[in-house]
Amino acid sequence: MLGTLPFFLLVGVVLLLPVVVLAVEAFRVTDPVTYEDTWSTSAITSVTTGAYGRAYLGSLRLSLVTAALGTVLGLGLAAAMLSVRRGRLLRRLLLTASGVLANFGGIPLAFAFIAAIGNAGVVTALLSDLGITLGASLYSTTGLALVYLYFLVPLMVLTITPALEGLRPQWREASDVLGGSGWQYWRRVGGPVLLPSVLGASVLLFASAFAAYATARALVGSSIPLVTLQIADALSSNVLVGSEAQGKALALGMVVLVGAVMLVYGWLQRRASRWSA
Amino acid sequence: MTAVDTAAGLPAAAAAVDPGPAPTGRRGPRRAGVRVARAVLFTVLGAYFLVPIAASVAFTVRDRGTGGLTARWYTGIPSADGFAETFGRSLTLGLLTVAGTLLLLLPTVVLVTLRLPRVRRVVEFLCLLPLVLPPIALVVGVRSVLSWAPDHFYGTPLADAFFALQEPDLPWILVLVYVVLALPFAHRALDAGVRAVDLGTLTEAARNLGASWPRVLVTVVVPALRTAVLNAAFLTLALVLGEFTIASLLGFRTFPTWIVEISGASPQLSVSVSVLSLLLTWGLLVLISALDRRRPRTTA
Amino acid sequence: MTAAVAGTPTATVAELRDRPPADVVLSGVTRTYGSTTALDALDLHVAGGEFLAVLGPSGCGKTTALRAIAGFEVPDAGTITVGGRDVTTVPPSKRDMGMVFQAYSLFPNLTAADNVAYGLAVRRRGRTERRRRAAELLELVGLADRGDRYPHQLSGGQQQRVALARALAVAPQVLLLDEPLSALDAQVRVQLRDEIRRIQLELGTTTVFVTHDQAEALSVADRVAVLRAGRLEQVASPDELYSRPATAFVARFVGTTSAVPAQLRADGQVDLLGTTRPVAGPVPVGDVVALLRPEQVVLRPDAGGRGRVVTRTFSGGTTRVTAVLPDGTEVAADVVSTESTELVPGTAVEVAPTARPVLLVPAGDA
Repeated sequence: MLGTLPFFLLVGVVLLLPVVVLAVEAFRVTDPVTYEDTWSTSAITSVTTGAYGRAYLGSLRLSLVTAALGTVLGLGLAAAMLSVRRGRLLRRLLLTASGVLANFGGIPLAFAFIAAIGNAGVVTALLSDLGITLGASLYSTTGLALVYLYFLVPLMVLTITPALEGLRPQWREASDVLGGSGWQYWRRVGGPVLLPSVLGASVLLFASAFAAYATARALVGSSIPLVTLQIADALSSNVLVGSEAQGKALALGMVVLVGAVMLVYGWLQRRASRWSA
Repeated sequence: MTAVDTAAGLPAAAAAVDPGPAPTGRRGPRRAGVRVARAVLFTVLGAYFLVPIAASVAFTVRDRGTGGLTARWYTGIPSADGFAETFGRSLTLGLLTVAGTLLLLLPTVVLVTLRLPRVRRVVEFLCLLPLVLPPIALVVGVRSVLSWAPDHFYGTPLADAFFALQEPDLPWILVLVYVVLALPFAHRALDAGVRAVDLGTLTEAARNLGASWPRVLVTVVVPALRTAVLNAAFLTLALVLGEFTIASLLGFRTFPTWIVEISGASPQLSVSVSVLSLLLTWGLLVLISALDRRRPRTTA
Repeated sequence: MTAAVAGTPTATVAELRDRPPADVVLSGVTRTYGSTTALDALDLHVAGGEFLAVLGPSGCGKTTALRAIAGFEVPDAGTITVGGRDVTTVPPSKRDMGMVFQAYSLFPNLTAADNVAYGLAVRRRGRTERRRRAAELLELVGLADRGDRYPHQLSGGQQQRVALARALAVAPQVLLLDEPLSALDAQVRVQLRDEIRRIQLELGTTTVFVTHDQAEALSVADRVAVLRAGRLEQVASPDELYSRPATAFVARFVGTTSAVPAQLRADGQVDLLGTTRPVAGPVPVGDVVALLRPEQVVLRPDAGGRGRVVTRTFSGGTTRVTAVLPDGTEVAADVVSTESTELVPGTAVEVAPTARPVLLVPAGDA
């Protein structure tokens, strides 16, 4: 139908075409002398080793750890929120706050943390007056993880709350009457029923953390090996011929990694939700 | 106790919470334990979420010279060099993106629901893609495509069009990319709206009365989906006003890139602008939730 | 549906049948939520092996009573014993009961057979025993061939059958049914209702069945307890409840009644619609209201009659005809359909009782 044509056109040109171009041009290199383009895998092979390889590992480690922590904390927070009886007001408050905070990424978030526990931060000053120094620097991987959780936990709360609300109280009660303990209920019913949603949510958290750039840039510049920071560096360095190709190779690597995660996720999802329609 | 240590202590507290729906009417020691664990979780996470915001405000209202309070960083924002230009640009981009997103997505969602259920999955998949595709990877691809203009199309009308898209005063290319980035949120909002009202019956009634398709869209569909449309619009606007990655890597000056630009020379100003932009986003999102609440729940 | 009735009973059925029946006693059970009292010093005795229906309008406390027996509600006051054992504060998992919920209580991630075997699995019984028992119970509820289906692949009625099998799998002392039919279609409801009764008779398990549907309660239960505002209004056999209701509330809630003004004479007779009838119990002399069942009223076409037919509703063998008296009283009568052709709206009729009213109440209390 004609009405959907603009949609498919835009998605094709602005979303799919760039990714395809990325996949092709990552295999092209420009000769520094003749400016001739040739097919080559040199850019691709260069990004798997050395500083670039470390950047991938750093990004993967940071996003896996923060996604796992965010999943656990967000799940705990959502469950705690729902377990408050007559807590409708609290629920609305927390969900609205989560909606706000999950969108509170990027630059302002980084600055808020710098203002709090940065070198000249308010909390830092307060603590140093008391003779306490912070255990870890904000400008480190640990600090970055702490900042990422600030938007990942609310994101988890937002995505998992509907699934938690979908757990029918009758299931727990039926398990109770049949002699099951709380743990048995969660192992045999609650956990398996929730698993697909939790998997989906944690993959979303992983993708968010893996792709985060603005927060990291504002916090740590390029002092920490992260692939998003390396891509930006490669693109902004106009001195080095071929760095553009390096950037494309790095970006393609990200797409491939996310794609691989999605494939694993799809497989797990199918296994975990065999029983549903 | 340090802030970092606090965060590390959290998982234990979370694991202690029984994440079940409230067991009804059960009292005694177990329930009390759950309550304590819950209170600890709320307190610790509450502090974690409030401290950075409170610190931002404290950071910007404290006068380092006198030690007293000052509002000068806030009053100085409007006249700050570059604020008017970049904020105006971001706002324009935001409004254009909202318009673009709605024009593109609204007919698509409606038509898919009413006429083309077969392509529903495809549309859903495409709309979810930007959620997992790293924006930075997308922008590298977009840069590559844009570079075709000087490299391959030079001198053709297509190249001129490409250059026009990259006009620094109003970079339309950003609008296009932002529409793509907004797809997941806008689609979810609109799709939920379409499911909540029985669009099929509504439009059938209008069509029976002799209304044309465009007329049905404007006079029936849009009013019925007002909340959903506003929802999508606000989410999109909030996204554009805070987007840094794309604008920065394509080399355009927008509001978020300006904040980073000034942060070195004037940290207080950049943080106070951040606080204000945060408040703006909150305002928009609280407005959405208020609208959500007002919507009559016709379907159970 | 007759698989388990014919032939020798399976091991599971034999085991269930051989359990000594346990009685359930609620004494002075009170439960309040804030300012509302759900149960108000409720006394209730369910005899061992009995099928007791708890009937009442919504909000009468019947579900709270059932949940108190199950252990989901801890009474503020009073005690609950099962088979002589005080279970008032025992958690649900230690009460040895089976429960069937309104709907959607099957574990969605387990097959029908695994749902049935859940209680055995959490008791760490062996795989062979779980399989055998699940199969036997599914056969008992007529779903022997659906063991490998997931709940979403079963119809509403089938889901409730599985839920029943699951509740029985642990050989419970008491079976609790919380409006298990209310979410089903009318036809399936009647079918499953009869089946529940058949299985209960076969196994002899003490059963408490909560419902707001009086027809359901009357048709399956040995005795029916009518609850109102957290208190027991009357507990009696269906027959007695219908013919000798203890209160106007019971008379109105169970079956249909017409309230007709009458006068009670000092000699123990009542003047009612131009007839005089004896009264059983002591009622204060004077103006009273007589409650009549539709089958206790005859309508005779009579040009000089005081009544006038207003509606008629055909329901097969009988037709419900309603007449209005000059004082505005409406009286319903069940007339054999073949004899009701003259009784069309507008017809003048003579209205007369054919039997003693089920209940007389003082005029103010009706």
